[in-house]
Amino acid sequence: MSSQHTAESSVLVSLRDVVKVYDTGEVPFTALRHVDLEVRSGEFVGLIGKSGSGKTTLINMITGIDRPTSGEVVVGGTPVHALNENQLAMWRGRTIGVVFQFFQLLPTLTVIENVMLPMDFCAMYAPAERPEHAMHLLEQVELADQAHKLPSALSGGQQQRAAIARALANDPPILAADEPTGNLDSKTADAVFHLFEELVEAHKTIIMVTHDTDIASRVRRSLTVSDGEITDEIIHRPRAERVGL
Amino acid sequence: MSGPLSGLAPRWRKVVRDLSSHRFRTLLVVLSIAVGVFAITVVMGGRGILLREFEAVYAASVPATISFSVDAADDSVVRAVERFEGVRFAEGRRTLAVRYTKGEQPEAASSAGWDTLHVSALPEFERGRMDLVTLESARSFPPVAGELLLERSVQMVADYAVGDVVSVEAPSGKRTELRVTGIVHDINAFPATFVATATGYVSMDTLRLLDQPTHYNEIHLIAEGAPTRAEASRLAVEVRDDVLGARGVRVLQTSVPEPGSHFLGDIFRAVSLLLLALGVLSLALSGFLVVTTVQAIMAQQVSQVGIMKAVGGRADQIMRMYLVMVAVYGVFAVAVGMPIGAAAGHWFTGYAADLLNFRITTYAPPPSVIALGVAVGLAVPLLAALVPVRLGTRISVVRALNATGMSGTSFGHGLIDRALGLVRGLPRPVALSLRNTFLRKGRLTLTLVTLTLASAVIMSVMSVQSSILATVDEVDMWDFDAQMWFAVPQSREAVERIASRVEGVVAVSGMPEYRSVFTRADGTESQPIDLIGVDPASDFVVPRISEGRWLAAGDRAAIVLNADVAKDEPELRVGSSATFNVLGEDRTFEVVGVVTAGLMGPVAFAPAAYVDEIAGRSGAIMRLQLRTPTDDTWEHARIARVVERRLEERGVPVAFTQTANDQRDQVASQLGILVTFLAIMGVILAAVGVIGLTGTMTINVLESTREIGVMRAIGASHRSIYQIFVTEGVVIALIAWFVGALVSYPMSAALLDMLERAMGLPLAFEYAWSGVGIWLAAVTAIAIAASMLPAFRASQVSVRDAIAYE
Ligand SMILES: Nc1ncnc2c1ncn2[C@@H]1O[C@H](COP(=O)(O)OP(=O)(O)OP(=O)(O)O)[C@@H](O)[C@H]1O
Ligand SMILES: [Mg+2]
Repeated sequence: MSSQHTAESSVLVSLRDVVKVYDTGEVPFTALRHVDLEVRSGEFVGLIGKSGSGKTTLINMITGIDRPTSGEVVVGGTPVHALNENQLAMWRGRTIGVVFQFFQLLPTLTVIENVMLPMDFCAMYAPAERPEHAMHLLEQVELADQAHKLPSALSGGQQQRAAIARALANDPPILAADEPTGNLDSKTADAVFHLFEELVEAHKTIIMVTHDTDIASRVRRSLTVSDGEITDEIIHRPRAERVGL
Repeated sequence: MSGPLSGLAPRWRKVVRDLSSHRFRTLLVVLSIAVGVFAITVVMGGRGILLREFEAVYAASVPATISFSVDAADDSVVRAVERFEGVRFAEGRRTLAVRYTKGEQPEAASSAGWDTLHVSALPEFERGRMDLVTLESARSFPPVAGELLLERSVQMVADYAVGDVVSVEAPSGKRTELRVTGIVHDINAFPATFVATATGYVSMDTLRLLDQPTHYNEIHLIAEGAPTRAEASRLAVEVRDDVLGARGVRVLQTSVPEPGSHFLGDIFRAVSLLLLALGVLSLALSGFLVVTTVQAIMAQQVSQVGIMKAVGGRADQIMRMYLVMVAVYGVFAVAVGMPIGAAAGHWFTGYAADLLNFRITTYAPPPSVIALGVAVGLAVPLLAALVPVRLGTRISVVRALNATGMSGTSFGHGLIDRALGLVRGLPRPVALSLRNTFLRKGRLTLTLVTLTLASAVIMSVMSVQSSILATVDEVDMWDFDAQMWFAVPQSREAVERIASRVEGVVAVSGMPEYRSVFTRADGTESQPIDLIGVDPASDFVVPRISEGRWLAAGDRAAIVLNADVAKDEPELRVGSSATFNVLGEDRTFEVVGVVTAGLMGPVAFAPAAYVDEIAGRSGAIMRLQLRTPTDDTWEHARIARVVERRLEERGVPVAFTQTANDQRDQVASQLGILVTFLAIMGVILAAVGVIGLTGTMTINVLESTREIGVMRAIGASHRSIYQIFVTEGVVIALIAWFVGALVSYPMSAALLDMLERAMGLPLAFEYAWSGVGIWLAAVTAIAIAASMLPAFRASQVSVRDAIAYE
């Protein structure tokens, strides 16, 4: 079934021969070594690996937060590696929702304002429609009652859900999350993961870095990164199949 | 959703919230900018108001183009002058110097110790057309016989009011009493604060009470159009020869001042130049301050910039947000700095106007200054912010996001860290704070530049002050304790004999002194120059030569000029020969030297023997100087009074007496204006320094919140956190002090050079080493004070705050 599914959908993210060398230290350090990767539309991909293996570096290539030293990154037909900073910002705002480990909500904006911020920057939706749309997203993450609080008044799990709502603000096809559950207790982490599953069902494509092996085992496709290379790939069968046997 | 910001897009709400939630930071930035706006408004506003009002008052007084001092002239002569081609108006007046004292003194045996009053008797008070005076308060006006109007500056040195009676002694010795019926302001009179003499005005019929004839001894005129000084000088020669000479009026002296230039012009130019320099410097300082603070804000906001970029914000959108924020700071700063600056400017100009003896009619700063203040408050911060904001918003998203953790600098690789690592035995809080100090190198550099500049300027200002005070010593080229002048030539031998018999007089020196006039190449004449005959070997003269040499024993027709003559008459150079008209005869002298003495009016020195020879009066003197064994200035004045009385008893009337201290005060009070202005300058700059350092320290605290929290978590006490921040502030201040001291040497030399040029007076350069010490103490105190508040805030940081931060 999974092969059937992948065959139906198109390639959304494609990395070809991506190399990333950091030369900020005393000796240049190669964090990604000739990585090739394809992610199809609607996939839920988990990136796992030891600390320092290059997961964050890899996901940053896809979101355009960082640039490859060589190689190509094409997302939804856009050559991300070739965009300048401004083009990147605009493209990212509409195409990829980014979720960080440390939530990264702007401290002086309320939850709903944080959610509306990407709409403002990317001029999505009519200004008058934005609060309504943001509220809708907050309802989706079950935060509607917290909408007008400042982030500092929210718990970690609530902040992360607010950050997810913000990542979805411009209705991007892709969600990239770097250890979104890293700072949450297992129950809250579970809730966030469940939210991701719902989003995949709603045809979002999700790429998520995680340390949590339990969570990693629940994604459809998990990739193991070690020493800057993708060394292993596991395709889990969808839950329905497992249950049905 | 219906808050006051509901109409605003989220990013603008962020700007508003950032401004309002970081109140202390907002206050700090606003103050940094406001200090610049304030300084510009005070300094440039003060300068603008002074120049405008001074010009207005001076122009309104209609100063005479030419004035002649004559033996005797009546109204028919004045009317003849007025009819002469090129002359618009002419007026006659009679002036004389009398001695005066307050109150009725019928019994006083002698006028010794009385002050000198320059009296002008005017034929017309209400319809005067030149050298106008303004009535400030009066009991009756115009004055009639026996009534006196006093120039208001006398009130600054003594307590005179309308209704007072003054006793006056005429040159003939006749005593009379005059009633003060009004106080006037005369911008063309030397303020009593500068010279030991007062100025007064009477009607022509008061002259009889003073034993004076009622004809004029001065004719003043206003020329047609606006002649240059050269044109005016030519007109003066024509009027003298064709009108006055033709009518048998003997001209004793012709005065053609530089048109439109007041006698305080030099001081005025110097003050205005200093103010301009201060304006430029405070602008630069405030610019640095703004760059520093904005850079700090951007450093603090870097992770937020990263987040905004990550969610789709373009660099230009984000840049605009921060520029708007800076503009808002600017608007607040103008709102705060401008009114305070205008108020301080009001006080400052009022003070300066009092010193310079002129009235200010309106204190409104010129529109150009308001425009400049607004520009400084808005444009300078925006320009200054452009670079840090640009850099802050151009930062790549990864770098911005990576900056969130514990201060993600690459400290440890740096030389400084290694150097600090070598210094063992440093108490840990000190080592930590040193590390902190160098950690934020960029801001450190900017803060240092700001504080160094402020330090350098303050120390330079102190050096300029000490140089000016040293100049006061230098312009004084005499070594006497008291001196007096006689109305008519006296026998040197007799006067010296009488004076040296007075107890307390250890040395006396009489000298001839006559008015002379230098005739320029084009035939026009200079201002009157006092030609003093001195014995080249006399130890009463301590010449400081700026060019050429002093008079030598074999000299005959040799002349040495003071700085004032050298400045006014560029034709007169050492080595040139020059024609001086002395007592009506043209004499040729060789200019052999120039002395640094100045600010006392044009004076020239020639050998006493030669002056006697050309005066045809051997051993006749006009001035007597004497020395006493004491340094006590009261004693000098007392002994001078005794000498004066003794001379008068022997039939030698003394016209004017002065102690060395009086003379020094005169010069010092003119230069003192500069010293005062310099002190004000220093205070403003120190304020900029304090605000700047407080700002930096506060921002350091804000930035180190997380580190402080961690330190608290591992057990740092309140005290050690205080210590860390105060040490940091003091280290910054000490570096600024040291570099500032190095810079201040050439800077004070340059400032002094500028002043010299503006005043045309050679100034002595004396670097204020004491200022270096004073500023060391002051800057340390400032650093401690400036770090106290931030250190307090730091000590209040709890572990929880630090972890929750951002
Ligand atoms: N800016 C940088 N400069 C130099 N080296 C870097 C930089 N960022 C990452 N690295 C190095 O690149 C390697 C991969 O880093 P990366 O952050 O991708 O690891 P990771 O797999 O996300 O680790 P973790 O699970 O701890 O987050 C690491 O060895 C790290 O030291
Ligand atoms: Mg990582």
